Amino acid sequence: MALLLQVLANGILLGGLYALMALGLALVWGVLNIVNLAHGAFIMLGAYASYYLFTLLHLDPFAALPLCMLALFLFGYLLQRHVLNLIVRAPMFNTLLVTFGLDVVLTYLAQIVFSADFRVVNPGYAGANFALAGVTLPLVRALAFAVALVLTFALWLLLAHTRLGRAVRACAHNLVAARLYGVEPRTVYALTFGLGAALAGAAGDLYGVVSQFNPYIGDALTAKSFAISIIGGLENPLGVVVGGLFLGILESLTSLYVGPTYTDVASFGVLVLVLIVRPKGLLGRAT
Amino acid sequence: MRPLGWAASTAVLAVLASVPWIASPTLIQFGITTLLLATVAQAWNIVGGYAGYASFGNSVFYGLGSYGTAIAMVQLNLPFGVGLALGAALAMLFALLLGLPVLRLRGHYFAIATLALALAMTGIVSNLEIAGRNTGLVLPLLKGDALFYELALGLLALVTLTVIWISRSRFGFGLIAIREDEDAAAVMGVNTTLFKAAAFTLAGFFTALAGGIHAYWITFIDPVSAFDITLNVKMIIMAIFGGAGSVLGPLVGALLLASISEVLTTEVSTAASLFYGLVIVVAVVFMPRGLVNVVRHFKRLGWRYFSENLRSHRL
Amino acid sequence: MKPILEVCHLTKHFEGLVAVDDVSFELAEGEILGLIGPNGAGKTTLVSLISGTLEPSDGKVLFQGTRIGHLPAFRRARLGIGRTFQLMKPFPGLDVLDNVAIAALFGTGGGQRRLGRAREEAAYWLEFVDLGHRARYRADDLGGPDRKRLELAKALAMKPRLLLLDEVMAGLNHAEIDEVVAIIKKVRSRGITILVIEHVMKAIQSLSDRLLVLHHGQRIAEGPPDGVLNDPQVIEAYLGRRHA
Repeated sequence: MALLLQVLANGILLGGLYALMALGLALVWGVLNIVNLAHGAFIMLGAYASYYLFTLLHLDPFAALPLCMLALFLFGYLLQRHVLNLIVRAPMFNTLLVTFGLDVVLTYLAQIVFSADFRVVNPGYAGANFALAGVTLPLVRALAFAVALVLTFALWLLLAHTRLGRAVRACAHNLVAARLYGVEPRTVYALTFGLGAALAGAAGDLYGVVSQFNPYIGDALTAKSFAISIIGGLENPLGVVVGGLFLGILESLTSLYVGPTYTDVASFGVLVLVLIVRPKGLLGRAT
Repeated sequence: MRPLGWAASTAVLAVLASVPWIASPTLIQFGITTLLLATVAQAWNIVGGYAGYASFGNSVFYGLGSYGTAIAMVQLNLPFGVGLALGAALAMLFALLLGLPVLRLRGHYFAIATLALALAMTGIVSNLEIAGRNTGLVLPLLKGDALFYELALGLLALVTLTVIWISRSRFGFGLIAIREDEDAAAVMGVNTTLFKAAAFTLAGFFTALAGGIHAYWITFIDPVSAFDITLNVKMIIMAIFGGAGSVLGPLVGALLLASISEVLTTEVSTAASLFYGLVIVVAVVFMPRGLVNVVRHFKRLGWRYFSENLRSHRL
Repeated sequence: MKPILEVCHLTKHFEGLVAVDDVSFELAEGEILGLIGPNGAGKTTLVSLISGTLEPSDGKVLFQGTRIGHLPAFRRARLGIGRTFQLMKPFPGLDVLDNVAIAALFGTGGGQRRLGRAREEAAYWLEFVDLGHRARYRADDLGGPDRKRLELAKALAMKPRLLLLDEVMAGLNHAEIDEVVAIIKKVRSRGITILVIEHVMKAIQSLSDRLLVLHHGQRIAEGPPDGVLNDPQVIEAYLGRRHA
């Protein structure tokens, strides 16, 4: 029983991080209708950014978070403004292909620049644990969980209550009307995509602390982000929290009861199942 | 195709078939790889180009073909032909069982689902004892690249003939109707579920055979190389770059891109993948209908072809 | 004579909205029934329920005596139900001839098997709607009125027994409307039963044997055009209480 609780706790902590991972994807998908197959690559870049800030500048990964986010934001903004905006009005398939190509380019550039070696960010307190209600929680994972939830709620607030948030939502509903209200879609799209990239960067920064990574983690993380977005439904930004927790707990339980090598299979299997049975997700309205 | 077209094609085929006797071993090896790539690109064309269902996971079929052949030959001591048949059967079964539910999804949901299937299969197979888990399987050695070359060429000819048939048959037009507007197609009497499943199964069939030939040729497979995700990258880019939904497109795309990539990257295979990624970004932005379409319209539009594409698609 | 189409208590819910509410009517073979009503009355939804694009929440649809409510759209097409779409859906990547050829390949009874024959039939139907001269144009290069003709040709190439027309005259000028009315009458003279949704009153009056009026998804009037158009309920539905 204690073991089960521990596994659940691990799953929840992982789930929070997963939610943050998926958030950027869900934002861009739900609002801009851009399905970003390079999302996992952005997470990977965030991890490398935090790694080099740590190794070269001895910057604590949690302190480096704003920097990683800023770097990825700029990257995402420029990418959208100058590349992706070129295909926004093309069939959805084109977006898939372009982001697919970007994913490939980023992955292999990363391999050339950073090499394929596995890395991890190991601050001094990396091994610390603390006990809570009978379970042992690794400090870094708990911190990552907390940060992830804070960022998720911050985004939700941003979308719901700020002018930028309203502009973003306006563009999502009606480009022409948005223009009439003085919103310049090109900029809003770029800002939104940049925001999505920044969130991916944050997730990558945190990921690098709790797990090892190399240039190839992108695809699996993209697929998991999809799983989370779809399970949680794209209607509500808080859906990713549900989806993330679900996937985190699922992987944790799978690891214990089936085997650690089956966790990815479980995640992707669930994704396929959900797509087949209920594409709008657990929170979405039934089709 | 007019008689001139058939004559020209036969001539080309004859020339290609004679390569093993006149070319260097390196060129023959390049030939085999390119022929197999062209085959999977052409197979993808059936479901992605004609039916408009862009599968990002056809590598599953390749892997099933590889493993079917390998398991038959290594674990069950069956001959190569039976191995190929087993691989193809596995792929077709997969296409029907999982394809039917997944094909109900539209657009990007379908793409994601196929990507997830591909990723999941790698994980599943690496846990299977009969497939040799993570270490993989070693197949018996058959010396003589010439045989594999001719097999690959034969397979490419077969899949291309199939696509030619598709392009002028009721089945093919049904697929095109599905691609252009699935609701309108249904209302016109097209059994969309059946046709999509058939297209997916056909694509799986040919892709699996390519995988089987490849496995026997390189004599070793493991989950990562057999269910090679980068294969998805290449087959899609080749088909799109050349022109999805046309007969020649995947062939042109495969030949051009494989050749360029070979010339650019004699040492570093990562640079090859980088190249493919860049190609697809540029191609989709400027010439989304592929090279074949560019050739068809360039005479009339010139460079305006590219700017037209840009203007109608940009924000 | 058994009616070719029987609609019994047909209802369609959409998440709290009732689009079609307990609608019943019959169509005799060879009839032209005009389906009218204010915007949002549920006319296109009703047609979609008959063609199979939507599934009913309740009620029955019988075609030539057989229940078809559970059949997928393509089976109904094979039985002989053809429709046009209000938002026209040409196959954009194909030329006009091939657009119609597809309909000939798949329509009633499964259509033609051979592409060559289908193209011949397509050419015939294009002439029938007076679009033959544009056979080789790309479908999405056509202007509005020509697109309407293309929609019509596609539906006809299916050789339907029942033809469902959804606003084929919207946006046409008087001369074009007269042409389309003439074409529709030509179609009826071949024994095809027609259900027409239209807003152009003049046209629907001259075309229809009977009119059926929908309002808020409910049938509020049915009968010969003169009677229906003078029915106070109908006038109220269109123009509001004051004018009744």
